[in-house]
Amino acid sequence: MIALEQVHKTLGQTKVLDDFSLHAEKNEITCIIGPSGCGKTTTLQLLAGLEQPDAGRIVGTQGMRVSYVFQDPRLLLWKTVAQNVAFVLQDTVPLARQQELIRKYLTMMGLNEYRDSYPKALSGGMKQRLALCRAFAYPHDLLLMDEPFKSLDTPLRLGLVWQVARMWQEKSGTIIFVTHDIMDALLLGHRVIVLSARPATVLDDVRIDAPPAQRNVLQAPLPAIHARLLDLLEGENKKYFPDLYMTGGSSKTPG
Amino acid sequence: MRNFSSLTRGLAPLFGLILFILLWQLASGYYHRVILPPPVEVARSAVKLVVSGQLWEQGGQTLARGLTGFGLAVIVGLPLGLLIGLSPLISSLFRPLVVGLQVTPLVSWLLLAMIWLGFSKVPSFVVFVTTIPLIIINTVQGVKNIDVHLLQMAKVFQINRSRLFREIYLPQVLPYLLAGVITALGTTWKAVAMAEFLSVSTGIGAKMAVSRINLETSDLFAWTFVLITLGLLTDRLLNYLVNKRLRHWM
Repeated sequence: MIALEQVHKTLGQTKVLDDFSLHAEKNEITCIIGPSGCGKTTTLQLLAGLEQPDAGRIVGTQGMRVSYVFQDPRLLLWKTVAQNVAFVLQDTVPLARQQELIRKYLTMMGLNEYRDSYPKALSGGMKQRLALCRAFAYPHDLLLMDEPFKSLDTPLRLGLVWQVARMWQEKSGTIIFVTHDIMDALLLGHRVIVLSARPATVLDDVRIDAPPAQRNVLQAPLPAIHARLLDLLEGENKKYFPDLYMTGGSSKTPG
Repeated sequence: MRNFSSLTRGLAPLFGLILFILLWQLASGYYHRVILPPPVEVARSAVKLVVSGQLWEQGGQTLARGLTGFGLAVIVGLPLGLLIGLSPLISSLFRPLVVGLQVTPLVSWLLLAMIWLGFSKVPSFVVFVTTIPLIIINTVQGVKNIDVHLLQMAKVFQINRSRLFREIYLPQVLPYLLAGVITALGTTWKAVAMAEFLSVSTGIGAKMAVSRINLETSDLFAWTFVLITLGLLTDRLLNYLVNKRLRHWM
């Protein structure tokens, strides 16, 4: 089990996490959804060891090799597409296997014909796909994904959700997937954890039994879970954007 | 029409140059040739410099002195700039020195170099002290602008220190370093000629002084054009190389 136990974390002036606990099972896909700014990214950074908790502890990640898809692509602009993937493989994978992995994942993401291009020549979506290639190809025990499909259109998003599900079936491993898209979470998660607005608390923790790669969002129990999660997130948003949800009565419209 | 306008745009600088030479020719009619020699006479002096071998003999010395001082400035300035950029301790230690180096009057360096090193090494030394702050400051700027997000990425993927340096730090510092190098090389030719004029008897700067004493103003003009050409050539060449190297990602 991987867990944050009673973690406190302040970044600058902002208390991002206040006595926050969360756990994820190994060899499962755990999806975390919640309103923007609730501390999802900080949670991943703590798990990756990029940030240290002010108090509390991180359990279960010792000795794990971590791969990470950041919200922004974070590519090396002075390296080609293929070299960007090779960058993370160089010290961890034998040379012959490197080329094989690069080809496999670039092909999966539709980038193999651009392997010798530089990131400058790629669109925003292509850059994000390259970041996914890099994270997938890197040998890992724990894959952290921070809204990885943010800049992609819906059909491509769905395609990538299936790829992640397939990849997980192939080599299992632990995946923690942060998103604010309920559909992604429903299609991928063994568990979906709903966080409240800052300071984050766990509002709901839903287990979905159907295997990730074989789900239909229209089939029970997914529509009911979808409605429940949407309700929870809307409830959180209402606290922070009351005007956005204002209806009838007091608001005056001309005519 | 479009062809015509792009043609004029290409030729405009040439017309500007011709206009300048015409005005110069016109003005030289009103003054004695010692004050303002006509363009033809300057051209004749330039040809004479080439034919007599003076250009290579004196120019070569100036080039060697300039490049020695400039090369040393890069060799010392780059690592120093990296260290200052990376370490707050070294930064607070060296910052005042770098600033001091920049504001110290050139004449002080010149005279101190005469005392410390002897006349022959003055030009290289002056180039060294005038260009090294440019190299250091630009390198520090480059290090300060390194993207911390990329460092985080490299940390997650457990990239070791030496690769971090070569593949993350250096490529990001390079554009800043090269900008510093281009500025520094521009300064080099001006500084080396000035120092030669004041300290030694060979090289372009020294020969310019001789031209003045002998009232051969056209020679002085010719040498000046040699220095301008040297500056332009090295600037263009470096810019071309930098563009070629960085174009694909900058």
